[in-house]
Amino acid sequence: MRYLLLAMVLGLGFSCTKKRDFSQKTLQLSVAAKVKGFDPVNAGDSYSSNNINRVYEGLLEYHYLKRPYELQPNLAESMPTVSDDGLTYTFKIKKGVMFHDDKCFPNGKGRELVAADFVYSIKRMADLKNNSTGWWLLDGRIKGLNEWRDQYKGKDANYADKVEGLQALDKYTLQFKLTSPYPQFLYSLAMVYTFAVPREAVDMYKEEFLNHPVGTGPFITGTFTQSNKIVYEKNPNYRDVYYPSEGAEGDKEKGLLKDAGKKLPLVDRIEVMIQPESQPRWLNFNSGKLDLMEVPKDNFDQVVTPDKKITDTYAKKDIALNIIPDMDVTYIAFNHDDPLFNKNKKLRQAMSLAYNSEEANKLFYYGKGIIAQSIVPPGIAGFDPNYKNPYKQFNIEKAKKLLAEAGYPEGKGLPVIKYDTTATTVARQMGEFLKAAMDQIGIKIEVVTNTWPQLTQKVKKRQTQIYGMAWIGDYPDAENFLQLLYGPNAAPGPNGSNYNNPVFNQKFEVAKNMQQSPERKKLYEELTQMIAEEVPLIFGVHRTIFVAKHGWLQNYKYSTFANGANAKFYNLDMKKKEETIKSGKLR
Amino acid sequence: MNSSWNYIIRRILYLIPVLLGVCFLIFILFNVVAGDPVYLLLGKHASVEQAAELREQLGLNKPLFMQYLDVVKSAFTFDFGRSWSTKQEISSMMIQGAIPSLTLTIPAFVISTILSVLFAILVAFYRGKGIDLFIRVTCICMMSISVLVYILVFQNYLAYEFGLFEISGYEYGFPDFVPYVILPIIIWVVLTLGPDIRFYRTMILDEIYQDYVRTARAKGLNEKKVMLKHVLRNAMIPIVTYTVVQLPFLLLGSLLLESFFSIPGLGGMTITALNSSDFPVLKAMTILSAIGIAVFTLIQDILYTVVDPRVKLQ
Repeated sequence: MRYLLLAMVLGLGFSCTKKRDFSQKTLQLSVAAKVKGFDPVNAGDSYSSNNINRVYEGLLEYHYLKRPYELQPNLAESMPTVSDDGLTYTFKIKKGVMFHDDKCFPNGKGRELVAADFVYSIKRMADLKNNSTGWWLLDGRIKGLNEWRDQYKGKDANYADKVEGLQALDKYTLQFKLTSPYPQFLYSLAMVYTFAVPREAVDMYKEEFLNHPVGTGPFITGTFTQSNKIVYEKNPNYRDVYYPSEGAEGDKEKGLLKDAGKKLPLVDRIEVMIQPESQPRWLNFNSGKLDLMEVPKDNFDQVVTPDKKITDTYAKKDIALNIIPDMDVTYIAFNHDDPLFNKNKKLRQAMSLAYNSEEANKLFYYGKGIIAQSIVPPGIAGFDPNYKNPYKQFNIEKAKKLLAEAGYPEGKGLPVIKYDTTATTVARQMGEFLKAAMDQIGIKIEVVTNTWPQLTQKVKKRQTQIYGMAWIGDYPDAENFLQLLYGPNAAPGPNGSNYNNPVFNQKFEVAKNMQQSPERKKLYEELTQMIAEEVPLIFGVHRTIFVAKHGWLQNYKYSTFANGANAKFYNLDMKKKEETIKSGKLR
Repeated sequence: MNSSWNYIIRRILYLIPVLLGVCFLIFILFNVVAGDPVYLLLGKHASVEQAAELREQLGLNKPLFMQYLDVVKSAFTFDFGRSWSTKQEISSMMIQGAIPSLTLTIPAFVISTILSVLFAILVAFYRGKGIDLFIRVTCICMMSISVLVYILVFQNYLAYEFGLFEISGYEYGFPDFVPYVILPIIIWVVLTLGPDIRFYRTMILDEIYQDYVRTARAKGLNEKKVMLKHVLRNAMIPIVTYTVVQLPFLLLGSLLLESFFSIPGLGGMTITALNSSDFPVLKAMTILSAIGIAVFTLIQDILYTVVDPRVKLQ
């Protein structure tokens, strides 16, 4: 049959497949959705920010190998000096860092990065006209920046106007003055929104700037178009940056330090394919056209054994498995604007007890998730691995008892509760699961499906009763998760449950301003446990990512943050790749 | 000739109320059904201040009538502005998307139409015989299988297991795109052969039992001549209608095929816009589709006069 088809195709004289090229170290990756463009101030989705990360750079970055995540200088010469009151951060930036060559510069040659570029780039983020999706990071944090922003509402901003808290003291010295102590500030300098862009490019390309990436990063890409592929070439003028020589425990044994001290990037080229469907992505990975890929749900059992190991079939293909707990939490939120939930903690607790998270984990996450006892995920201070939330232990009898104490014995007197979710198959199934779970204690649920825009709008406008959602961490600090329940952050802010507990609010305000310390960790744990028992949300799972990678891809270590930038550390054994593919071992 | 031109001009002028109606419908649908897109566009940390600013920038603060006029203006000037979601210029997005869509849909459409008509003539010629029955049953079987099955099976076996085609992807420029569109074209042809053969067969059979065909046979013409010279010529009217009406949809691409084969066409662009409440893109696609359908319906009417001299444009 195979030869018959082949003969037919050859007979038609078509060239049906492209010849593979193994001469260059080309890293082949994929994303599931379109990249929106290369403007750092609007890197609101992970697909875009991961790609922007390859071209643009910031003052700080996360250490590639160390865990827990650790910030280190990137375009900064060193970590900043911080004043005793915790309000002034002074950075020295690296000398001799060049922007990519581009026609926006005289003679098309990239110029040197200076401190004023950061002043300009951060003002761009504040400029209301740009409507940056990252403004929340700096909103109210830098002295004079909000005033500068408000001053130009509805007008063209004057970037020459000085902002007290954001100044280039000289060519290579940058100073931030904060309005109040905020240790998380440093994380914002490792996020794409604050990365350095050259003013010349913004002025030249104007609205098209997002299609003309001009950064200082390890890779260069040409004019961006909404196509199905983004191609990057190694930046020939990239400064001397070397592969780290130390990592987390076990990294050496895993071979992650073999390239220690080598100049980065280690690959010549990156091809990012945009493939919305998981089936073709998976087939491309299996045929060696992608170097790594997250294992799709539909193929999970083929690749992963019940004890979370790679199956023999895939091990024989020299494919390895990386299991990484992601920094997120899924939950069902009660809208506390609704007096039914606001005034009745026992009702919330009863509903949490009736929800069988273990079963939900098996059904919807193939048992991959870690049951969330509260809101803070593993891997960051505030997560206590020994803590068991008393209202997360599935117990129908106790749930019934609490429901009766709440004033609704066997659900009598309770109206039908509307559960808002998205219209995807899995979301609908989750809705039905919740409905069946609540039915066991006499609570009637009506599942309402929405498009994603409709659901977000309902949450922002406080029009839901209960709804399903997930939060992915922006940076590795419990503050980023706990703020979801901070009263002043109520909708349209990130606190979509509109939970407002003065005790929690007061303690959160103290904790978020504390420097990293055992005291802050203790306070975070206390807050985590407080909300676990208050049940403003029914906590779901912390999801786990299963990434399959080919044996020829070296130095791969997953990072929740700035994953795109890590491509500069990856290496490829092209000889091994060519041999494996040509041997037919993968089919 | 004069009356024909009058007819054509009249039909072109009819486009104005059609476009106004389309603008009204999409405007109502977007404002009533879809709701406020600003929080989706601003992301999870959006503030009230940012939402107000974005509403202002997008013109969502204007009175509804003014917003409707903006939609009408863009329909008549073809200035659709920029996508709310990707901030890209819509005209360049459409040009960028139209090429991949057309490199898939035009060859697929031409091949499937030629094959369908040929098979339809064959089965009509051998009507009631074994080959007719076999092809009809095959058509029904082919139609009974979901498009997803074809895609998944063909991708898995023909592209991955046998390595005969590219699994997915696309490259701009001839002949670079060719390896990437062959498999989706095959699937398109397989998908459309069933219904098209059955439809064309019915059209041809309708003609076969007409009086003039019996007369032709009575005069002693052989069956081949009857079929090709008389029956096919008359059966061309519904065939042309059916074919021309499909043409504007070729530009819109094929949502599932584009999605599974990573072809960056207009079908995928429309769905992305739908999911992100990207009104300017949806507006542009809807208006262009309406114009496309109106124009091709007019072409279809003109073609009637070519294939059937009895039809006059009045």
